[in-house]
Amino acid sequence: MIQYHEIAIPPRSEHLWRYTPWHRIHPTKVEEIPTSVPMNFSIGIDHEIESSEEIARNFIHNTSSVCKLVELDNESTELEIRCSGHVCSGELKIVSKGNSSLIIRISGEAGWSGLRIFGSITGTFSVAIINDLATDSHLLKCEDWLVDRDSELEYAGMSSGGFLNKSDIRINLNKQGASFRGGLASNGHGSRHDDNHVEISHDFSNTTSSLVIHSACDDSSHSVGTGLLTIVEDANGSDAGQVFRNLLLSEKSRAESIPELEVLADDVKAAHGAASAPVDVDQIHYLQSRGLSEGEASALIVEGFLMDAFKDIKNEDIVSVLRTRLLVHLECLIRG
Amino acid sequence: MGEMVLDITDLYVSVDETEIIKGLSLQIHIGEVHAIMGRNGSGKSTLANAIMGHPAYTITSGTVRFNGKSVEDMEVHERAKAGMFLSFQYPSSIPGVQVGTFLRKSVSTVRGDDAPSAREFRKELLSHMKSLNMDKSFLGRSVNDGFSGGEKKRLEILQMLLLNPCLALLDETDSGLDIDALKVVSDGINSISPAAGCLLITHYQRLLDHVVPNFVHVMIDGKIVKTGGPELALELESRGYDWIEA
Repeated sequence: MIQYHEIAIPPRSEHLWRYTPWHRIHPTKVEEIPTSVPMNFSIGIDHEIESSEEIARNFIHNTSSVCKLVELDNESTELEIRCSGHVCSGELKIVSKGNSSLIIRISGEAGWSGLRIFGSITGTFSVAIINDLATDSHLLKCEDWLVDRDSELEYAGMSSGGFLNKSDIRINLNKQGASFRGGLASNGHGSRHDDNHVEISHDFSNTTSSLVIHSACDDSSHSVGTGLLTIVEDANGSDAGQVFRNLLLSEKSRAESIPELEVLADDVKAAHGAASAPVDVDQIHYLQSRGLSEGEASALIVEGFLMDAFKDIKNEDIVSVLRTRLLVHLECLIRG
Repeated sequence: MGEMVLDITDLYVSVDETEIIKGLSLQIHIGEVHAIMGRNGSGKSTLANAIMGHPAYTITSGTVRFNGKSVEDMEVHERAKAGMFLSFQYPSSIPGVQVGTFLRKSVSTVRGDDAPSAREFRKELLSHMKSLNMDKSFLGRSVNDGFSGGEKKRLEILQMLLLNPCLALLDETDSGLDIDALKVVSDGINSISPAAGCLLITHYQRLLDHVVPNFVHVMIDGKIVKTGGPELALELESRGYDWIEA
């Protein structure tokens, strides 16, 4: 397997590295592989997964001394991942069968955390991944999901913690009838930088995917959402859609949303869209006319906007946990 | 006659520097129902929005006093807390905010110390929903998001019943309602009117078959040009507005 030092540093011209280049998310100097503290996983058994030729995955693999396997078979559970130390890393493999769900919460005060997730889905799997890291933490997260024949991955990501975050999420609809339904909510505040890249690959016919990314950007935060939707030749009957929405709450906040399509099959449906806008004054007025102050109205609109990213998530337990976590997060922000 | 709840004197209102309301005066007392009728563009909705304090509507001259206090010194939410309610012609949708959560928050804020406990609130809420023929599933939906015209209007009336205002401004609450829904919504308006002043803005007589106004005002070009009793609405229905302008 190729070594980290043999991999060329990716140029910023690459879609994936345009807004958060490798040197920015690397914890030290790009030529270094620092010693790391192992992540603490609340569940899972020791396991190993292969390295990768992709630089971020390869780097996390090389720095990690811990890899856990979580197997689910018609069950629902929660996984706490604690990150500590200057540099912290870990790998996680999830194998889900039947109708299962998992809530993953990433927390802690590590300076830099690197997490690699590999998931294999047979049946229906609902997952929530909540970034609840300390406000000065950096996070590099790489995820690879393989969705089997007639199986479904329901994915909810909430990014509210950390200072600098880069997520590279790849979903491979690996057999006929595989489907993905995902929502990502990102709350930008202070100088937070949150970069979410999502690649969805329709490799077989009659596969479906839908992705919604909502970013609320306040203060001088910067939100990035890039997507690559690929429908290979012969993947006829596929249906795919991506929507990126940004709510700009201050003049200094920035948001970039770049959904891209590569459609090589003829008989498919594929749609994408992106929009950025400030808070609607009519929404504020409406809520004020119901007794809420301007600040309360704005906070409620932000809460709703972020939760709206999960409106297609059917697993009610997951939506309930996300709503609670979001309310706690927003309350903490208001109280400073 | 009850206490005066709204006192508008020689009001002028502009939107984007265009004068819409041009010297309008109106007094409403507790227990009175006033209906304002007029052609499209005559300034009816502008009047309601200006009273409620929408930032796009600027009062350039005249006064609006609510319960004896000038609204000029009151923020929009302060007007709501003081008992002013506007049922919007086009209520905004708030995606991701559940109706149940929103109503609880609004009622707690507006009714303050008199707000019901969670249990009492639910009882009150379900009772009003039943009277408005609203299904419980409404509570889990996002506010006005994907609602039909009739559903939006029912939610507006539900809010009015829960917030128990002393001044209700109802801007074309009858639009988008079928005959059955109109009756249900009218019953809601009638239930609050004895203890509140109501200003109904409408195009049609049909609402006034169910909610009988004490006064009907005709608004043309930003002014009230004629005032009468319920019979005036019937006359407008049969003759239109031309005879008033002539």
